[in-house]
Amino acid sequence: MKNIFVIFKREYLTRVKNKTFIIMTFLAPLLMVGFYAATIYIATETGDDDRTKTVYVSDNNPELLLSHNPPANYVLLPAPSDSDSALAHVERGLVHGWLSVEDRDLRVVDSATYYTSETPSITEKESLKEWIRNKATQRQFARLGLREGQIDSLQSSCSLETKEVTGQGDVKESSSGLKSGIGFALAFMIYIFIFVYGSMVMRSAMEEKTNRIVEVIVSSVKPFDLMMGKILGVAAVGLTQFVAWIVLAVGLVFGISALFLNSGNGMTTQQAVQTGIEARTGMRGMDAGSGTAVSMGGEMSAQGSDMTSGARDMAAEFTEPLSNLPYFQILAVFLLFFVGGYLLYSSFFAAIGSAVNQESDVQQFMMPVTLPLVFGFVIAQTVALKAPHGAMAKLFSMIPLTSPIVMVVRAPFGVPFSELALSFGLLVLTFVLMVWLSSRIYRIGILSYGKKPTWKDLWKWLR
Amino acid sequence: MSKVIEAINVCKTFGEQRVSKNIDLAVSQGSIYGLLGPNGAGKTTLIRMLSTITQPDSGEILFKGEPLKESHAQLMGYMPEERGLYKKMTVADQLLFFAELRGLSIKDAKASVKHWLQRLDMMEWARKKVEEISKGMAQKVQFVSCVLHNPQLLILDEPFSGFDPVNADLIKDLIIELKNQGTSIIFSTHRMDNVESLCDHLAIIHQGEKVLDGGVSDIRRKYAKGIYEVGYYQSVEWDAGMSAAGESTLISEQQHSDGKVVYRFQTSESFTPEQLLKLAMGKGNLVHFSEHVPSIHEIFVDTVSKTAEPIAGATIAAEPS
Repeated sequence: MKNIFVIFKREYLTRVKNKTFIIMTFLAPLLMVGFYAATIYIATETGDDDRTKTVYVSDNNPELLLSHNPPANYVLLPAPSDSDSALAHVERGLVHGWLSVEDRDLRVVDSATYYTSETPSITEKESLKEWIRNKATQRQFARLGLREGQIDSLQSSCSLETKEVTGQGDVKESSSGLKSGIGFALAFMIYIFIFVYGSMVMRSAMEEKTNRIVEVIVSSVKPFDLMMGKILGVAAVGLTQFVAWIVLAVGLVFGISALFLNSGNGMTTQQAVQTGIEARTGMRGMDAGSGTAVSMGGEMSAQGSDMTSGARDMAAEFTEPLSNLPYFQILAVFLLFFVGGYLLYSSFFAAIGSAVNQESDVQQFMMPVTLPLVFGFVIAQTVALKAPHGAMAKLFSMIPLTSPIVMVVRAPFGVPFSELALSFGLLVLTFVLMVWLSSRIYRIGILSYGKKPTWKDLWKWLR
Repeated sequence: MSKVIEAINVCKTFGEQRVSKNIDLAVSQGSIYGLLGPNGAGKTTLIRMLSTITQPDSGEILFKGEPLKESHAQLMGYMPEERGLYKKMTVADQLLFFAELRGLSIKDAKASVKHWLQRLDMMEWARKKVEEISKGMAQKVQFVSCVLHNPQLLILDEPFSGFDPVNADLIKDLIIELKNQGTSIIFSTHRMDNVESLCDHLAIIHQGEKVLDGGVSDIRRKYAKGIYEVGYYQSVEWDAGMSAAGESTLISEQQHSDGKVVYRFQTSESFTPEQLLKLAMGKGNLVHFSEHVPSIHEIFVDTVSKTAEPIAGATIAAEPS
């Protein structure tokens, strides 16, 4: 036990004292926010094709397509009556394309064809199709004698509010979007954490082996103790980073709040409630990106003075669902499955690090280990978010290799205690078994030099 | 003298290959035990068993009379042939880490690290990272890391490999000093240069078997075959004298760089060294007369070449216990 601690201490201190670690702890949240901001910016701002396109149109319904409202960025011209010359113009690039609709019956428009010299994007195709459909619908309404203004007034609008009925007969506001967001953010963190810190464990084992330090160490420490000390030490480094981010985020939010408070408006009740919730749960720290944005939105809108009404609405929309979330459960599930998942996977990573002689040998072993993790993440993104209580989500939240990610996605939607206990029990059992198996590979791997190890060697070492 | 460590009939097999065959050895308190053998002879495997890293398949290892167990590792210092340090750690932190691993309390560890750094004039390097110090310096750190906890048994596997001559001498002096303080030392090597000057006792391992064992002087005496050397500052004619003397054979003639000519004779029971000396004195101005005792190097080469091919393959592997 004492030796596990000595190893733990070395692993922890050398990493935490490292300048790169300190810099990255402060920089990573900024990079993450920057990354998302850039992605959103690119997706919204620069994704569209903004060239103005001149397109011939021809149809059998006069003025169906040659209307006053062409699609954005399109200039429509009547096509020459001779289809050969229309096609020739398209080919020579005189016009961007030729849109032809031959249907007379506008209930089913199935002859629309768009000729271009370059393959149009899916977005372009869809938007043209939608535009034609709208035009056809309008024409149909017009035949019934309805004017455009009348058509608009006939359109109904609808919004659906969701409320949860709890066991005590209470009815609470719920927000699927918020829960999905929180669940996904937490699952994403576990996914990244396992990869980043699992690789750290692997590199640490490899460093000791390739630098030939390990033989000195195993003469006074059992390989199992060495492996556990390493895994726990690196886990503590990760947790330190989390705590640093939480403190950083909370500090930042309070700093900004203080700035606004000084500008004159006192703290409103809504803000007090909001701050209280966040302080109680530490939600901000868990996702330095979106969590902070949400809570900051809430607080700033509470200032009331120069905030937009949009922000105020957003705060109102999220305030009640936020206070209704099963925080304790989410946090407990996150921490337990996070630790369990990390320990399970990092023992694999440690075994790989001990087996190989150089970085380039790692790839062949990494694939089967990372595959279940990636698979879990895909399940989390698709099945678990769409149907958190469905059979597939339940199944994969039980399988220990995927449960750390899938269960965390399900957690905000409320998971029965029995399911949580079973899944966590399975995870712990598998973790204990895998650590034991990995330590068998580890204790032989670290002292085996020479040829590149194969799966067969690993199997032999296991037995 | 009491035994610090004893191996009794120890065997170890990796797959099909028997790397230790019925090995017996015993290391006395305060002595230096040389473990010789060519590459791949099974020295490292034996050492790993002695230092608790692996366990023998059969046979027994006793530490101070008790069956060897993991806790005994704290009383040993082990410097493997393949050795390294954490490059990113400072010298002092690294030594503290090893001292704590060997069971010292933080306070004792700090005191020991300070003592050794002062002893080797390295205090000013204590806060430097290993990647910032010279290779020779790193070698000293390596040695210190094995002796910080005052081990009762120090196992050194090829301790001078990679050491420059200055550091090698320094380490040699330290080894002798430790021995004089009562530390027992196992010293494995395939190079004979230092064995004669350092070891009290030696064993030769070849193809997993112990082929020779005994006190260094006893072994050399045992291998002395009645060969004597006589030397002059000029060449000497022997034929007539030899026939008169009868049963002595001139086996070699060597011209030394200092101008001395040395003749080597194989004596026999009927022709004693005294008779050879008398004969030699009559030949001219005799400046050298001695018995030729074979060096450990010659004994080693002789012993090893008598047995079959060396074990093939240089892969060092550990096997599940």
